[in-house]
Amino acid sequence: MLLVLSDEHKEHLGFLPKVDPAVVGEFGRIAVEFLKKGSNPKIYEGAARKLNVPSETVQRGVEGLMYLLTESSKLMISEIDFQDSVLVLGFSEELNKLLLQLYLENRKEVRQILSELAPSLPHYRNLEWRFDVQLGSRALRQHVKPAICLKLHLESGGTQTARVLQTDPATLLHLIQELECALAEVKSNHCRRILRNIK
Amino acid sequence: MRFRFCGDLDCPDWVLAEISTLARISSVKMKLLCVQVIKDLLDEDIDYEKVSKLTSDAKFESGDIKASVAVLSFILSSAAKHDVDGESLSSELQQLGLPKEHTTGLCKSYEDKHAALQQKLKESSLRLGRLEVVNWRVDYTLSSSELKEVNEPVVQLRLQSQNPESGSSETSVVTVGAEKFRVLLTGMSIFFKYYYYYYY
Repeated sequence: MLLVLSDEHKEHLGFLPKVDPAVVGEFGRIAVEFLKKGSNPKIYEGAARKLNVPSETVQRGVEGLMYLLTESSKLMISEIDFQDSVLVLGFSEELNKLLLQLYLENRKEVRQILSELAPSLPHYRNLEWRFDVQLGSRALRQHVKPAICLKLHLESGGTQTARVLQTDPATLLHLIQELECALAEVKSNHCRRILRNIK
Repeated sequence: MRFRFCGDLDCPDWVLAEISTLARISSVKMKLLCVQVIKDLLDEDIDYEKVSKLTSDAKFESGDIKASVAVLSFILSSAAKHDVDGESLSSELQQLGLPKEHTTGLCKSYEDKHAALQQKLKESSLRLGRLEVVNWRVDYTLSSSELKEVNEPVVQLRLQSQNPESGSSETSVVTVGAEKFRVLLTGMSIFFKYYYYYYY
């Protein structure tokens, strides 16, 4: 499938043929760095001074490259489709090859970064437990009541929370049974058929 | 095969795999590595420089160093958790393929610090809402806007405890009248009577 680039995007990328292919390679490397670690405006100014152009133009060029990379990696387009999409910009053969190489080398990493941006539910981090026996209370003396105290540590996007739960052994056994049923469901025919089709 | 130090369960596959990694360093270096790992388990600072120096002869990569520290941590803490004595641990580790000299070194370090490890594990067991500080003050109310002559003692308690879910400190201030305080104390003394009865 072809990537459709907006006019504004084409305008921003229009800066690239005006500079050396080596510089475009450098911009590509900066674009990938920014995708990994976040952008650093000082680099734009340094590059702008060296090339004698306003820093905004450099910024738009690099950001245009970043957007091109993320959109192509997101849709996982093939080589031919990428080449066709870039052809629209009317760049030289050498520049097209450079952009293609940039895309192919970094696509896996960009996809990994993009996967971390998806919303996530709190997930399991740690479970502490304690087995207690209540021997008596103010209201009733000399009874035996076992209880299991759980502290479930969860993590959701960097923040950690903890929930304290208490249960008796019978409920805990029931819980274990239900979870084992859930695990066994993966081995059922229905799930196996679906997994086979996904793979 | 069931192992006591794994809590009468099968030994995890990764432990089996990493025991062969441990066999690659000399037994003397392994004993020193054990000492460092025990320091880490007791929350004293582990000296990573020393660890990497000890493993440099056998040309361990960073993955191997992490694996050997992890497997020693597991063996030592799991053995302390299930209260395994040095002899049984030694025979079980030899069954798993750890050479005799290495096993002797490990078990010696384990036996030395066995009690300290168990104490540390006991302290880090789950505790909810730990009471940290109790401050008290007895005031004497002379008079109030409601009644001209009150003349009653009153106890003010400040309790600093740990929030069970977030672990941060919380302070609560409670004012208890004289009678209610006596009820509270009677309840507490009955509790202590039972405590001594069950514990001793």
